[in-house]
Amino acid sequence: MTILIGLMLLFSALASILILALDQELSKRIALAGSGIVLAITIWILVTSLLQGSLSMGEQYPYISAFDISLQLQLTPISFILVLMTAIVAFGAVMAGNPERVREKAANALILLFEFSAIGLFASANLFIFFIFWDIGVIALFFMINILGSANRRYASIKFIIYEIFASSLLLLGIMMIYFYTPVHSFDIGAITSAASTIPQATQQMIFILMFIAFMVNMPLFPLHFWLPDAHTEASTQGSMLLSGVLTKFGAYGMLLIFTMFPIASSLAIPIALLAGFSTIYSAFVTMMQHDIKRVIAYTTIIDMGIILVAIAAMNSFGTYGAAYAMFAHGITIALLFLTVGCMHHIFGSRDMRVVKGVVSRAASTGYSFIMGVFGVTGVPLTAGFVADVLIFIGAIQAFGLAGALPLIGLLMIGAFMYLVINRSFMMTKEPSQPVEYIGIEQQLGYAFLMGSMLLFGIFPFLLLGFANL
Amino acid sequence: MLIGPFYVAHAIIALMLALIVVPLAAIPRRQSHAAFLASSALLALIFLLSAYAFLSGVDVTVFIIFHLYQFSAFFLGLFAFALLLVNALSYEHYQDFTRFSMFLSFAIVGMFVVAMANSLITILLGLELMTLPTAFMIMTSGKYHIEAAVKLFILSAIAIGALSFAIALVFPYDLQLALSPVSSSALFTGITPNAGNYLLILSIILVAAAMGFEVAAFPFNLWVPDVYQGAPGNVTALLAGINKKVAFVALMEIFFVLFVQFQPIFSPVLILLSIATMFYGNIVALVQTNVKRLLAYSSISQAGYILIGLAVATQFGIEASIVQIVAHLFMIIGAFAIVLWLESKNLRTLDDYNSLGYRNRFAAASLAILMLSMAGVPPLLGFIGKFLVFSSAIDTRALLYLAVFGIVNSFISIYYYAKVIDHMYSGRSKELLPMGRYTYAVVAVALAATILLGVYPNFLISAASAASKALLAL
Repeated sequence: MTILIGLMLLFSALASILILALDQELSKRIALAGSGIVLAITIWILVTSLLQGSLSMGEQYPYISAFDISLQLQLTPISFILVLMTAIVAFGAVMAGNPERVREKAANALILLFEFSAIGLFASANLFIFFIFWDIGVIALFFMINILGSANRRYASIKFIIYEIFASSLLLLGIMMIYFYTPVHSFDIGAITSAASTIPQATQQMIFILMFIAFMVNMPLFPLHFWLPDAHTEASTQGSMLLSGVLTKFGAYGMLLIFTMFPIASSLAIPIALLAGFSTIYSAFVTMMQHDIKRVIAYTTIIDMGIILVAIAAMNSFGTYGAAYAMFAHGITIALLFLTVGCMHHIFGSRDMRVVKGVVSRAASTGYSFIMGVFGVTGVPLTAGFVADVLIFIGAIQAFGLAGALPLIGLLMIGAFMYLVINRSFMMTKEPSQPVEYIGIEQQLGYAFLMGSMLLFGIFPFLLLGFANL
Repeated sequence: MLIGPFYVAHAIIALMLALIVVPLAAIPRRQSHAAFLASSALLALIFLLSAYAFLSGVDVTVFIIFHLYQFSAFFLGLFAFALLLVNALSYEHYQDFTRFSMFLSFAIVGMFVVAMANSLITILLGLELMTLPTAFMIMTSGKYHIEAAVKLFILSAIAIGALSFAIALVFPYDLQLALSPVSSSALFTGITPNAGNYLLILSIILVAAAMGFEVAAFPFNLWVPDVYQGAPGNVTALLAGINKKVAFVALMEIFFVLFVQFQPIFSPVLILLSIATMFYGNIVALVQTNVKRLLAYSSISQAGYILIGLAVATQFGIEASIVQIVAHLFMIIGAFAIVLWLESKNLRTLDDYNSLGYRNRFAAASLAILMLSMAGVPPLLGFIGKFLVFSSAIDTRALLYLAVFGIVNSFISIYYYAKVIDHMYSGRSKELLPMGRYTYAVVAVALAATILLGVYPNFLISAASAASKALLAL
């Protein structure tokens, strides 16, 4: 019995409260300390588990005894990958800060609150706790968009919360149905997994579909993705980093859970993979119509999440670990991309790829970091994205034959488009735009930190995959 | 037990009488402060005594018409605590508190009488004693409030009429008015009981209608928005926070004690009421621009959630409803405290609430948390209530659809709750808006209850469970 997961939750929550209670000047330091401690704990867990050769941890704290609900936390290799990702992205977001430096106190408090919820969610071994952390995260990001966002933030935040609460309502219904329809009457994921086959087929299907739709909204997937572009465009830089980097993984992690929990999933895997593949290719086309670079990046999230779902639907260990690794890689990479685009907006006053030219010559660190981020998204070797893509497509081809490789088309299309963006905008040396502002050392440190993590786990994938039985 | 149950019950009744006398004594010299202190002290004593009675598990009948057991002790304590809050709010709001205090103390006695009732007549009188002074409270608040007062008066008179008729119809069955399960065959010669027991069915429907008026269930809720908007905010807090809950207590006492064998008959009625109430309240709230009206419709829909648990009519359902009652009580009192304070600054509509988040951070943050709690966002108390209520519906299997309707409504409601929050954090006015001391305290207590009981609901759930078991005599 350890207390490390509980400590992570405690420190992030405590930092969030302290930031709210103390002065603006101290907010960044406390946030750095809080998220730094969380990152240090995750690294400690990683190192000790690497030395031991296995990773599994479970903790339990009393909560609602009337329903036998306790705060059950666990770390499996997969959930640890996501917890580490959360710690890295949150630390990066805090370190980089907001280039505009507005409302730092609110921003830092909300980032820490969100980190609290995300770590709790990925580490929860109990669906009730999972749901509670889910909603805390959604509310934290609602405020992040609503208070800190740009001009059209009110519309975007209301749209965001309507979609997300729709998802969480379905999720709640699904969870309650699981509780009352399984003979064990439990929210414990382990207990449900072993008892799920006793649920009648029709009920199981209903619960699966309810939860599938909930996670689909969150991921997001084609017909229910309309909140994402607006939310990302209007959120502050840090907000977009967390939204795309971490929040979309809530849904993907949930997908992993329901695919392992319900035996019925195997009969639905092929239609789901088809839907995910379609979502990928559809959003690749939509992406090519965008001029706002932040919107382009927002749409690449939908593409990547589609590919991740294909891997999850493959239901083999390559697919599962590939999906987890892809979530990890995508989270860090997309956070880097959003950070660079936010800084670019700050430097040049625009995000339109037709307007901003010559970023590389005028703001070198931002320009090259963006290019590195594109490498990561398109899966260039040595980045974490490469490892993820290899695992995913091995898994998909194992499960679906060569058809499993079809989502690659979406990835290739978006790759081609991103290099076009780089060519037309970032590398263009004719009539470069004039910078109106400059970014500080903090943002550059943020770039370096996120890029470093991206490369570290791309070059040494065994750090995280050593625990997997591939 | 340190003090005998008999003495506890007598002490509570004596304190209730003292509550009536004290404000009367304060009126001639307009000693507002003395009236406030004395009534608060008495309420606090009643709260402590009933908490003691609840914890020690009393079960005693006093003067035939009062019954002090865990169910009534739970609600006595709850109402006494909530009334302390409303009392403080009102004290800050009025120049001359004594007159208001007199009406309030009459209403308080009515509430306690209903909570402790052991007879149908006690319930009837208690409800009357509660609503009439409330109408006076509104009426004496100024000439703009008369319309609201008259509406409340007339409609509660109709409700009381319906309830009296219902009681008259039940009387022939047992030839007594005590709150005990009614036998299904008429004792009174002259009435031949047939298979349908039509008199009983009519009586059940009349009770549902009367209580529908009091708890503002659709289609009996038409008075609510006008009265809530027309009444001063502290009275609205009293109406929505406590009066409505007292009516729920009466409803539980009548349905789950008197008509307990007729659950197949009253359950469908409550199911219909709850579904209609939730949808009506939530859908109409979507388009409101006046915050008080918005909260009025929101509290209509919350009554719908409470009714789900009662419609389920299992011990778990009642327990869930009790938790939801407690949740809504704290949330709505906190929210109306803020609304009352802003109303006194002449801020009423959603647009007036713009930039409140920068003008008074505490008020905006509290209202935001209360709104999220009403929308059912974890880990706040509103979520626990809704979760239990929906769970109780799913638990029966047959009523799964009721939980689905509830969740659909919970989803609809997020729009208008989010809209309030959105308005508070838009705009960039920095002009500070100070909040009164008592209002601040009331909001802080309501907020603390919402958060603490939400994060750690063990105590509340086990108390509600004990109360519901006592009601059903399990």
